[in-house]
Amino acid sequence: MYAVPMLDERRREFPRPRGRRIRYGARMPDALDRWFLEQVLVHEDALTRYLLRHWPARDEVPDLRQELYVRVYEAAARAVPAQPKSFLFASARHLMTDRLRRSRVVSIEPMGDFEPSSVLVDDVSPERWSGGRQALLRLADAFDRLPDRCREVVWLRRVEDLSQRDVAMRLGISEKTVEKHIAKGMRMLAAHLFGGDEAARAGGGHEDLDDVRRHAD
Amino acid sequence: MSAGTPTDPAPGHADRVEAQAADWLARLDGDGWADADAAALAAWLEAATAHRVAFLRLQSAWQETGRLQALGAGWQGQGVPPRGIWHAAPGDRRAQLLQAIAARPPARPRPRATGARWRLATAAGIVACALFAGWAWRDRQHVDAASFRTAVGEIATQALADGSSATLAGDSRIEVRLSRGERRVDLLRGEAIFAVAKDPSRPFVVATDGYDVVAVGTRFSVRRDEPGLRVVVTEGTVRLQSPAAGDAARPSALLPAGSVALVTADGVLVQSMAASEADHLLGWRDGMLAFRDTPLSQAVAEFNRYNTRQLVIGDAGVAALRIGGNFRGDNADGFVRLLEAGFPVRAERQDQRIVLRSR
Repeated sequence: MYAVPMLDERRREFPRPRGRRIRYGARMPDALDRWFLEQVLVHEDALTRYLLRHWPARDEVPDLRQELYVRVYEAAARAVPAQPKSFLFASARHLMTDRLRRSRVVSIEPMGDFEPSSVLVDDVSPERWSGGRQALLRLADAFDRLPDRCREVVWLRRVEDLSQRDVAMRLGISEKTVEKHIAKGMRMLAAHLFGGDEAARAGGGHEDLDDVRRHAD
Repeated sequence: MSAGTPTDPAPGHADRVEAQAADWLARLDGDGWADADAAALAAWLEAATAHRVAFLRLQSAWQETGRLQALGAGWQGQGVPPRGIWHAAPGDRRAQLLQAIAARPPARPRPRATGARWRLATAAGIVACALFAGWAWRDRQHVDAASFRTAVGEIATQALADGSSATLAGDSRIEVRLSRGERRVDLLRGEAIFAVAKDPSRPFVVATDGYDVVAVGTRFSVRRDEPGLRVVVTEGTVRLQSPAAGDAARPSALLPAGSVALVTADGVLVQSMAASEADHLLGWRDGMLAFRDTPLSQAVAEFNRYNTRQLVIGDAGVAALRIGGNFRGDNADGFVRLLEAGFPVRAERQDQRIVLRSR
């Protein structure tokens, strides 16, 4: 057992404002990055659901999504799209078309099925960025899904604000292990928060599409 | 089957890139981050857009976890709260807290606002800072220097890079230097309330007139003024260090919450009161000025911080009057009318100023 001090009154009344910008390279927190976070990443769960619905191999969806992000980011570096969401889904459609053509996989689905209009209508508002109660509960849920140790590490680091070194001391584990828990926690939290993971889990039922995909040879 | 044309990333690529991005971020979050690491990370980020987007995505998620503090704020038990506690019936403290947070617009406190809006902004604002300002990466070699000032009549809350915040009264000026070993604020003029983020390794020092006011995670205000220096502590403890006098050790006084220290040429006078009462002295933050048996000369100086139409003391008799009460800082006219009604004071209203004389 280890003792964890209670949050003190002070912390409760003055949660620590954090303003320090991260420094990792000359080009980093720029407008394009922000655009990507605010206009593209917020649609991740709708996007993932869309990809799962239309791409037959679900284990390829993360790769597809990454490539899509790369394309969208690079396109925006040249000219920022006026309608990010439509652009994102149109790009998704093109990407899938390209890939199908290139990998010579024959889809029996007509291309028209990639039409993302329905996705655009059922709007995923980016309100999680606006700090609503929903967003906090979503965060709480994502946090609760972490494995025990990982959850503990994230709590100590982010809420009790201990350094990684202090977390390691508190839990009697190595700093390297703390770092690993944090890396893992980040990935799991991202998956839950942005909803892609949710969509992947809820997206069952597309397995029956597997036979849709046939190799040309 | 082939993995597609060479332009298709190999299967599992996204997963590997994400793992690398997570490793970078976890190291960045740790204690051993060095300049060389920063260069290596910059190179990695530049190497491929896939790296950058994966990094941004995880970074954003990790940043979001800063808001766990808002959830943690209602948690009073030991250790990590059990799973699912967040969905407890409303009515408990945490749920109320969540609602309060949810009801608030996602903005930082505005640098300038008035009246009720300001009060709201202050109540919610300090919480808001934590929620929306992001996270505190520590860049230890770096010295962050910044200077902030307010005009007459302006009150502004400034988030400092270390997570602390400073609320400046009207006509005030501070200079902030944050370095690895110390957080130093020079109060050049006026008054400021500091809400100090805890960081035992870096004391927070407000320096003025040779005095150092030293704090670690607390809230206090420092004012330099005509009669001298005033320090009001509303939370935690601060240490007041007098200027070094020759070889002698610097005399210092510990000021617990509820202390009001007045420093004049004659020495340091420490008054103790309930912390809530001390807090009244910081009422200007809400646009209110509070006086307790205060010489009119001082009260007038206070009002003049918030009004362009300045009050002027016409004679020594008026200056010596002692007054008490709570007043709106931006309503000098009302204050003057009250003075005329309750004290032997006559006001001469001129264009840019109001002169107060004995009657």
